[in-house]
Amino acid sequence: MAVDTRVGQTIKHHDEEYKVIGTRPIRHDGLEKVTGEARYGSDINLPGQLHGKVLRSPHAHARIVSIDTSGAEALDGVRAVITSAAFPDPGDKLTGGGEAPGLPLKFKSANMLARGKVHYHGHAIAAVAAANPHVAAEALKLIDVEYEVLDPVLEVWDAMKPDAPVIIEDLYTAKADGTTAEEASNVAAEMLYEVGDVDAGFAEADLVVDREFTFGVVHQGYIETHNATAHWLKDGHLHVWCSSQGAFTIRQELADLLDHPITKIHVVPMEIGGGFGGKTTAYLEPLAALLSRQTGHPVKMAMDRADVLKATGPTPGGYVRVKLGVTNDGMITAGYANLAFDAGGYPGSVVGAGCRCVFAPYNMPNAKVEGFDVVVNKPKTHAYRAPGATHAEFASETVVDEICRTLDIDPVEFRLKNSAKEGDWQLAMPPYPRIGHIECMEAARDSAQWQTPLETAPGKKRGRGIASGFWFNIGFTSSVTAKLNSDGSVTLLEGSTDIGGTRTSIAMQFAETLGISVEDVDPIVADTDSVGQTDVTGGSRVTFATGLAAHNAANDMKDQIVEGLADLWDVAADSITHADGTFSANGNSATVGEAAGLLEEEGVFPIGKNTVTPTREGGAFAVHIADVEVDDETGKVEVLRYTAVQDAGVAIYPPYVEGQMQGGVVQGVGWALNEEYVYDDDGHLLNASLLDYRMPTALDVPNIETIIVEVPNPGHPYGVRGVGEVPIVPPPAAMANAIHDATGVRMSHLPMSPARVQAALAAEA
Amino acid sequence: MATVHIPTPMREATDGAARVEIEGATVREVVERLEASFPGLGGRLVEDGQIRPGLSAFVDGANVGRRLRTKLQPESELFFVEALGGG
Amino acid sequence: MRAIQYAAPSTVEDAVAILAEHGSDARMLAGGTDLIVQVREDARDTGVFVDAKKIPELMDLSVNADGSTTLGAAVPCHQLYNNAQFAASYPAVVDAARIIGSTGIQGRASVGGNLCNSGPAGDTIPPLIVHSAVCNIAGPDGERTVAVEDFCTAPGRNVLADGELLVSLTLPKPPAGSGSHYLRFIPRNEMDIAVVGAGASLVLDGESITAARISLGAVAPTPLFVQAAGDALIGLTANEDSFAVAADIARDAASPIDDMRGTIAHRKQLSYVLTQRALRGARARAQGGSPTNGH
Repeated sequence: MAVDTRVGQTIKHHDEEYKVIGTRPIRHDGLEKVTGEARYGSDINLPGQLHGKVLRSPHAHARIVSIDTSGAEALDGVRAVITSAAFPDPGDKLTGGGEAPGLPLKFKSANMLARGKVHYHGHAIAAVAAANPHVAAEALKLIDVEYEVLDPVLEVWDAMKPDAPVIIEDLYTAKADGTTAEEASNVAAEMLYEVGDVDAGFAEADLVVDREFTFGVVHQGYIETHNATAHWLKDGHLHVWCSSQGAFTIRQELADLLDHPITKIHVVPMEIGGGFGGKTTAYLEPLAALLSRQTGHPVKMAMDRADVLKATGPTPGGYVRVKLGVTNDGMITAGYANLAFDAGGYPGSVVGAGCRCVFAPYNMPNAKVEGFDVVVNKPKTHAYRAPGATHAEFASETVVDEICRTLDIDPVEFRLKNSAKEGDWQLAMPPYPRIGHIECMEAARDSAQWQTPLETAPGKKRGRGIASGFWFNIGFTSSVTAKLNSDGSVTLLEGSTDIGGTRTSIAMQFAETLGISVEDVDPIVADTDSVGQTDVTGGSRVTFATGLAAHNAANDMKDQIVEGLADLWDVAADSITHADGTFSANGNSATVGEAAGLLEEEGVFPIGKNTVTPTREGGAFAVHIADVEVDDETGKVEVLRYTAVQDAGVAIYPPYVEGQMQGGVVQGVGWALNEEYVYDDDGHLLNASLLDYRMPTALDVPNIETIIVEVPNPGHPYGVRGVGEVPIVPPPAAMANAIHDATGVRMSHLPMSPARVQAALAAEA
Repeated sequence: MATVHIPTPMREATDGAARVEIEGATVREVVERLEASFPGLGGRLVEDGQIRPGLSAFVDGANVGRRLRTKLQPESELFFVEALGGG
Repeated sequence: MRAIQYAAPSTVEDAVAILAEHGSDARMLAGGTDLIVQVREDARDTGVFVDAKKIPELMDLSVNADGSTTLGAAVPCHQLYNNAQFAASYPAVVDAARIIGSTGIQGRASVGGNLCNSGPAGDTIPPLIVHSAVCNIAGPDGERTVAVEDFCTAPGRNVLADGELLVSLTLPKPPAGSGSHYLRFIPRNEMDIAVVGAGASLVLDGESITAARISLGAVAPTPLFVQAAGDALIGLTANEDSFAVAADIARDAASPIDDMRGTIAHRKQLSYVLTQRALRGARARAQGGSPTNGH
C-alpha cells in the first residue's frame, strides 16, 4: 500500500503522555490571518501622520564630502530632513542587550545614517518626512550629496590582503587571545577553537580530505518589508509600532542610539510577515523617531523590496575550508576548519557560531577551527536561521560525503559510527547533554525515501544525497503574565513576536500545566509596557523559553488558586490536590473554571507570572535526504523527493514543527540552487528585486516529507527543543551530495546555480 | 575547587594549562581569583571583575550568561564561551 | 510630484495625434505589465499614458482572406491560447503566451506590448520572428510595415518614431507540413525571465526540411534572427545531426553578456541546447505530435 507522505511521522524516544501537548488544535491567530483582520505595521495610520523616506548611497564605498539638504527642505510639503548629525554622538559606548551586545555603538549608529563615509551600495544617507510619500520621494531627489568615490572591497579574500583598502580606518583586529592588533585592517576579529592534538590526529589518519568552499550573500527573504511608525510626544514619551522579531530589542536599540531613557520608550510589536533573523535589529525605527521628534507628528516609514535587499542585513558570503582525517575503517581522527565570513560594512558577522557548528554532528577527539570576521563593502550582515551553521556544515558534510565515497562506506553508517552523543566533547564548550543525532540518523535510514531505491530514467542524471545539521538554540529571557478570568478562561500576555505560530505552542504548555483546554487560553503578544522582559524571537527560543515561562506562570496561578480555595474551603493549602484540571480536598472539588467563579465572589483574581532565563537550551540535530535530477545540458537541478528528519525534543504542536522543517528546507533549497547577491565590480547590487533574487516558487520544491524525532531536552519540563533554525542547515549539503551522486561532480560554491553546475560538468568532461 | 577550562588562545596566561583549579563558592569569586592568579587573563575572560561583554559562562553545562552570583559546587566545571545569537 | 495624463482614444488617428503631440513623453498602454512597473520603479519617465484597449484595430484577432492572421497589438495573451485556430497555426507564439508571467498577468499582457517593450529576453519575439510576422505601424506620415526581426534596435528601443504606434502584427498562414516551438531556460520553474529563449519553425516534406527559421532571445542586444541556422537546414533530413548543425550556428551567432541572469558561457551553451530542443519540438508538431521538452 502506498504511504501517504503528506502526513508527517513522529518517532518518540520517551513515554510521556500529554493531554494538550502533541495535539493539533486550530491556531489562535488563524482566522485573523486568513481573513486579513490581523494588524501588521503598515496597517498603523495615526491622525496627522507624515511619511518618511530614506536617501541611499549609489556607491559601495565613498567619502561623503558634503550633504546639502536645502533643496529638499524648501519643497512644499516637506517637514523635516535629517542626516547622521541628528543622532547623538555614540562616543565609545557599547550596545546594550539584544542580539549582539557589547559591540561599539558607533557602528550601529553609522549604519542607521552614514557618518562621514558610505560603506555599501544602499547605505542610508538622509531621511525625509513629508505630507505624503510622493512628496517625500520627490524631496530625496533634491538632496545634494557630494561623494569622493573609493575603491570597493567586496570579498573576504580580497579584504584580508595586506594591501586591501581599509574600510574602517580605526578598526583593529580583536585577536583570539584577547589582545588587539596594532595596525588597522578589515579583519574585525579572529577566533580560534581547539580540542585535543590536531597534528597527532592527522598523523593517525589513513585518508585526509582538504577542500575549500565559497559562498554568495543570501537574504532571509521575508515577504513583509520593514516598516515603522513612531510618535514622539511632547513629554518625551516615544511610541513605536514596527515589524520586528523583538520589541524589547528595538526598545533597547532606540534607547542606545537616541540616548533616551528606556522607560520613555514604548514599542508595540505588530504581526510579522517573516524575519528569519533579519528583523532582529532596527533600521527605520530610529529614523521615524527622530523625524517625529523634529516635526511633532507621527511619522510612518516603509521600505520597498529594493531597500530591503540592498540595505537590511542579509547573511554573509565568504569562505570555508574543511580538512578531515579518517582511518580506513571510517573513524574520524582529526578535523581542521578555517572560516572567513563577510561582516558587511561594519563588524559582527556570524562566523563564531559557524566555527562552533562546523564539526558539531561528530565526536572528534582532535579539532582546530579558526574564524575571521571581515569587513567588506556590502550591507552589514545578520543572522539567518542557524546563523553560520549552514555555510559551515555545507562544507563539512560535503567533505564527509567525499570520504564515504572514497572509502566506499555507507554515508549513514559513517555518520552513525562517528556521531556525537551525550557526554562527547563540544568545541570549546561543556560536553553534550542528551542529544538526538543518532536517533535522527536512524530515522532517516529507516525512512520511506532512504528505503526506496532511486528510480532511474533513461537519459536522466539522478542522484541521492544525505546530510546532517546542528544548531545550538538559544535561551535568553522570556516573560509571561496570565490572568484568570471569572469564567475560567485565561488571558495570557507574552512578549514574543509570533512568527511560527508560537502563541499557540506557548498557550498549549500553559494549558497542559494548569489542566485546562487550549481553547480556554487567549494568548496575546503584548507590548513592552505590558509584559516583562522578553528577548527576540530568534535562536529557536520561543517555544522553549517563553513556553517555560508559561509553564512557570501556570504553576504560579495554580498556587494562587490553591491558596484561595484553601481559604474558601478552610483546609490547609498543602492538602489540596490538582489532577486533570480539578482541585480537590476534603470532599470539596472544583475545576479551574469553577474555582475562578468561586474566587471571583471572594474578590480574588489570580495572576500567574514568570520571567525566566533558561540555561539548558539543548541543541537540535536534523538529517535530510534529497533526490535530485540534473539536466546535464543546462545545469538545472530539480528536487524530486525530500525527507527532513529532526529532533524536536517534544513537539508541542506538531504541524508547526513540520511547518518549520518544511520552511527551512524551502529556504535551504533556494540557498542551494539560486539565491545570491550579484554585484558588479564597483560593488553595485544588480539583483535587488525578487525577480532576479531567485527564491524558490511553489513549483520548485516537492512535497517535503517530515519525520519528527522526540528525544526530550532534559533542560525543559516538557522536553522542548527549539525547532526553527536547524532545518535550513542540511539542505545545501544534501543537495550537493545528491548532485555528486547524479553527475560525479563536486560543487564547492553556494548557490549551485545552473551556470555553475553546467560549468562544473563541462570542466569535468 | 572548581575547574576552569581555559580557551586555547589564552593559555599563554596559564603557562599552557588547559584547565586550572580555582577555589570559589560563586562565579564571582572564581572570576576574581582567576584575574588575581593569572594577570594575563585580565581583559580577556574577565574585565573589571566582570565577565567580558560578549562572553557567557557555562557552569556544569548550564549557560548562566554573565550572572556572577551563580553558585558553584566543589566539583563544578566552568567554561567561558562567546555568547550566541540566533535567527 | 509628477502629474500624469491618461488618454483613451478610440481610433488609430486620435492615438497618433496624441502621440505626435506629446512625443517621447507619451507611451502606449496595453496590458501595462511592463510600463506601469517601469514607471513606478523610476525606470521610465512617462507623462502621458495612451490606452490601447479602446481602439478596435488594436484589439482585433482575425483570419484574413489570404489565410494570414491579424493580431491586434493589445490583444492579451490569454486570448491566444484560448483560440483553437490561432493555437494550431502559431504554436510557438502560444508557447510564449503561456509562460509569460502568471495566469493573471496573461489576462492583461499583450504580444504587441511585449514587442514594443523591446527587451532582449521578450518571450514572444523569437516566436513572431520564426513565424515571419510583420509589424503594421501607423504614424503621422501614414502606415508602414516592418518585419519583426527588424523592429527592435537596442535593449528597450525599436523603430517606432515619435507619433508612431504598433497597430497590429500580420502572421502569414503557415504552409502545410510546418511546425514551430518556443522554449526558454529559466533557473526556477516559474515567475522568471529567460536566461536564453529559442524559437524554431520547420516546414517538412516527409523527413526533408524545406524551410526553417530560428531565433534566439537574451543572447544579444535585440532578439536575434539566426537566418544562417535555418538556411543550413534546408534540404537536410530533420534529424539530430542536422539539428546539431543548426545549433552550432546558433551558438556561434549568440553574443551574450554576463549579467545577474546568466553568464556568457552558460548562455552560449544554452543557445546550442535550446536550439536543438526547439527544433525537436517544431519537428514533432510538423509531424502532428507535440514537443516533449519542458521549458
